[in-house]
Amino acid sequence: MQIAEGVQLVTFGILSLLMLGAALGVVLFANIVYSAFLLGGVFISMAGIYILLNADFVSAAQILVYVGAVNVLILFAIMLVNKREDFKPLKNSWIRQGMTVVVCGGLFALLGSVSLVTPWKISTVMPLASSTVPIAKHFFTDFLLPFELASVLLLMSMVGAIILARRDFVPDTVTGITSTQDSLTLPERPRELAGK
Amino acid sequence: MFVLNGYEYLLGFLLTCSLVPILALSASKLLRPSGGGPERRTTYESGMEPIGGAWIQFNIRYYMFALVFVVFDVETVFLYPWAVAFSQLGLLAFIEALVFIAILVIALVYAWRKGALEWS
Repeated sequence: MQIAEGVQLVTFGILSLLMLGAALGVVLFANIVYSAFLLGGVFISMAGIYILLNADFVSAAQILVYVGAVNVLILFAIMLVNKREDFKPLKNSWIRQGMTVVVCGGLFALLGSVSLVTPWKISTVMPLASSTVPIAKHFFTDFLLPFELASVLLLMSMVGAIILARRDFVPDTVTGITSTQDSLTLPERPRELAGK
Repeated sequence: MFVLNGYEYLLGFLLTCSLVPILALSASKLLRPSGGGPERRTTYESGMEPIGGAWIQFNIRYYMFALVFVVFDVETVFLYPWAVAFSQLGLLAFIEALVFIAILVIALVYAWRKGALEWS
């Protein structure tokens, strides 16, 4: 049993509206934490659209990596550096806003016209019922070297992330590093409460 | 053309999921008495008084765990098709996947030795 044609259309409409609304929210909310959560909404709607395009593996990877890991990392980064500050409004901010409108509007017009003008080729091949098993077969036969190289790439990214995050390369003689460490390791709750 | 099987259950599940909070909130709005004192507006009614703001700065140590987690999350994505097609792939694919995991175990050992997994 499969989803009927009309239901697919309605689902696509709802997903697109969700995605556009969440993307607008990411841009327009002043509170950056709301923006980060709405970015997760954009990723989830995108995963739904991948399912509608018969790409179930890509959809699962999208949810697992983007919603589960990347968005959490973004939220952690926001909560780490987050200091509530009262920003003063800039003088002549209308120049910046006008420039932003021009650049974004031009980009939108360019991309919109390209997507309308391009003669999209629609594949006539019957899509696969599930893409996971063919992907696995390709991984272990003709795409074996990229598959193993991916693990080396992950190893390199992990080592690089640990070196950058721990700042091992900073010599001990540099003063001031301890003070920044102290300011970044604030206790989450007052000590007298944690002891109880 | 949509060919994936079984996704109508997912659609029904999502619809039910999105109906539950709407129904729960609107039912409680219909049933509850209106008004109430200032206690109604506290964060935890008849609970502890919250201390400080809700928006605290996270400890930087969480970030190390999140970084290590991202790497192993991507590894999961690569191993998932292997797990799905395990019975059709045979011994050679098993050894190849073991090589893949072994390289990432090196990453885990490195993170461990560097103390990235410790709550110091």
